[in-house]
Amino acid sequence: MDFGYTPEQETLRREVQQFIAENVTDDVLGELETAEEGGRGVHYRELIRKVAERNWIGISWPKEYGGQGGSRIEQYIVEEEFARVGVAVGGAGSGAPAILAAGTEEQKQEFIPGMMKGDIVFALGFTEPQAGADLAGLQCRAVRDGDEYVINGQKMYTSAAHYATHIYLMARTDPDAPRHRGISIFLVPMDTPGITVRPLWTIQSDPPAPLGTTYGMARTNETFFEDVRVPASMMLGEENAGWYVGAMGLNLDRVGASRYLISVRRDEDIVNWVKENDFGGHSPADDPAVRDKLAELWTEAQVCRLMTMRSMSLVERGGNFTYEGSAEKVWAPEHGVHTTETITQILGPYATLLSNSEEAIEEGLFAHNVMGAFQSGINHGSVQVMRDQMARRGLGMPRG
Amino acid sequence: MGEGIAKDNMDILPSEEEQLLKNAAREFLEAEVSTALVREMELDENGYPPALWQQMADLGWLGLAIPEQYGGQGLPLTYMGLVMEELGRVLAPVPLHSTMVAALTVAESGSEEQKRDLLPAVCSGSMVMTWAVIERDPRLIPSAIVQQTQPDGEGWILNGEKMFVDNFNVARSCLVAARTAPASDDNEGISLFLIDPNGVGVSQTPLVTIAKDKQSRVSLNNVRVTSTDLVGELHNGWPIVERMLERATALLCCQMLGATRKDADMAIEYAKNRVAFGRPIAAFQSIQHMCADMILFTDGVQLLTYEALWKMDQGMPAGVEVSQAKAFANEKCEAVVRQSQVIHGGIGFMMEFDLHLWLRRVSAWTMRLGTTFDHRARIASALLDRPGKVRLGLPLPV
Repeated sequence: MDFGYTPEQETLRREVQQFIAENVTDDVLGELETAEEGGRGVHYRELIRKVAERNWIGISWPKEYGGQGGSRIEQYIVEEEFARVGVAVGGAGSGAPAILAAGTEEQKQEFIPGMMKGDIVFALGFTEPQAGADLAGLQCRAVRDGDEYVINGQKMYTSAAHYATHIYLMARTDPDAPRHRGISIFLVPMDTPGITVRPLWTIQSDPPAPLGTTYGMARTNETFFEDVRVPASMMLGEENAGWYVGAMGLNLDRVGASRYLISVRRDEDIVNWVKENDFGGHSPADDPAVRDKLAELWTEAQVCRLMTMRSMSLVERGGNFTYEGSAEKVWAPEHGVHTTETITQILGPYATLLSNSEEAIEEGLFAHNVMGAFQSGINHGSVQVMRDQMARRGLGMPRG
Repeated sequence: MGEGIAKDNMDILPSEEEQLLKNAAREFLEAEVSTALVREMELDENGYPPALWQQMADLGWLGLAIPEQYGGQGLPLTYMGLVMEELGRVLAPVPLHSTMVAALTVAESGSEEQKRDLLPAVCSGSMVMTWAVIERDPRLIPSAIVQQTQPDGEGWILNGEKMFVDNFNVARSCLVAARTAPASDDNEGISLFLIDPNGVGVSQTPLVTIAKDKQSRVSLNNVRVTSTDLVGELHNGWPIVERMLERATALLCCQMLGATRKDADMAIEYAKNRVAFGRPIAAFQSIQHMCADMILFTDGVQLLTYEALWKMDQGMPAGVEVSQAKAFANEKCEAVVRQSQVIHGGIGFMMEFDLHLWLRRVSAWTMRLGTTFDHRARIASALLDRPGKVRLGLPLPV
């Protein structure tokens, strides 16, 4: 076992930190904070162009599609450093791993290089009003018509849909098959006629949450599909195998720095805050109960970090997962909630102050976190569903 | 990371060599250590079977982490930890923990003569060792060591009582932390001596613990020691004791990990076979989620413990990592063995059923070598009492 990084990887980390200090400017952060277009304004695009110039996007993706063919760990280092300043680069959560694993040659050529440059962005179109945790109950229909499929239905919480170029869409292609076996995945351009995106405003929308808030997004969407025609060549994987392609893709996308970082940034923030601040001379850092709790949370946060390192190690060894991805997805979000709850009890009424309030601490970060932290235990598979998966896949326990 | 060899990629899973040793240890111990043996040794006066101890010596386990020039294999502490984990899994009734804790301290800080006297004998299986630090106040801090040692000509006279001394009844050598001076700016006034448990003025009273292991209250009544018994410098023993306690704690976490993992395995297996309401109870989500938590907790202990061992092997400061592992293990291992009892129901409360063997030991180990409060106070101090920003994954400001 080896918990350290190579000297080259440490050098890479320092280079990325230096780059961030020089290039993640207030202009970029300002764009991200307004976030109307997912932060994808002119300064953000310029930043991504510079990141791509340094060959830091898609480090572990294959060379033939514009990647570096390098190590997943180096990609992780880059992602981790950027995730710390609230900038998404690198490809985690992009859907690229699923396209690389299940896509046709044509699909890989069409999408991967663009995803790397930030020109192609996918929204995730899995959830429906009546199909959340029980995704296999989805109703959105795709009916074959010659060389095309015609799609009708509604998707919920399609968070990136208002700025995405494409949607990664799960639809039912065989209504007569058992639920899991009649589903396919389509890669659908968002400018296809018949797609309507309507905003859904989150509890973070008024006032807007500061950058870096856990689930601080102001907006998600519902997306409607009315006689949307997609070429059959845009099906990802085989017809009616979409359930398995989607599950595999989600699993691959779960591995990465951003997942754990959103749950541990507040540990650093609160420790650093109590070290440097006090309330009229009273420092919470002197309170034995607070000290005990912060030490407990810090230890839990290490477990988040180490579970991610374990997943990285498993991926590097060929990715023989049984339950480890689900374990991360239980531990990190629940830890994030523990920390958030503790912070509220350390800061007391100051943790109620939102971003536009006088006297708000850290621009209201901790207050907005109260409204967002629990969300990471719900999205992309709730902690309860993840525990089911751990028990069934990891421990071989029967379905009830 | 060997000399002159390019460092491998980060990979926190056991390497092939580490896994081979672990597998070999599991195979041997599962064959040799039955729960009948564990029960028999709870009643045995010595608490361990000398034949098993000798087999372990012959396998090279007693010298795994001891330098080659003293008959050992000079392997990193991690290897010792992996063996400890397997010993914990079967609750092997052997005095390995106390022996290693003392022997590795002698290997690191002892005189050449002390090393030659003790270490080859440890490796060959003829020398059980232990250590004695705690007096009345069980906290592992220098100010809790209060009983005064008097200088006496060329040597010193030890008096007082030491609590919770592991395997003292069978040890042939014991490291004693004693106060030889009041604490000063330069040192804590603690010195470390080797004593003979069978020597003049030494007596012990057995303590009966929930683990039914061999713990003693040791009375020192005008016990004479000389400079040849002194380990390290006079009055400057505390840094040595600190490193000893760090290693002891990390190795205890390994034992807790192995035992807890086995306890969870037994609960999961039981849940798959126990039928209630017309189906195996493993089909109930309430049970499934308990089992998922048991795995999360046990994995957390494993990850924290392995990282602490790795850091120690790299020669990096590991005090915070060791405290993280133990604070977490104290709470989470206890939670796992309790949940295992819940899943087993009433049968787990029965003497004739084996589960309590794990419950009692894991619980006892959560109370040894630092409570959750103690370890969290150390973590908090490192987090909060030094200036500078903290960042997860980087060493804390010094």
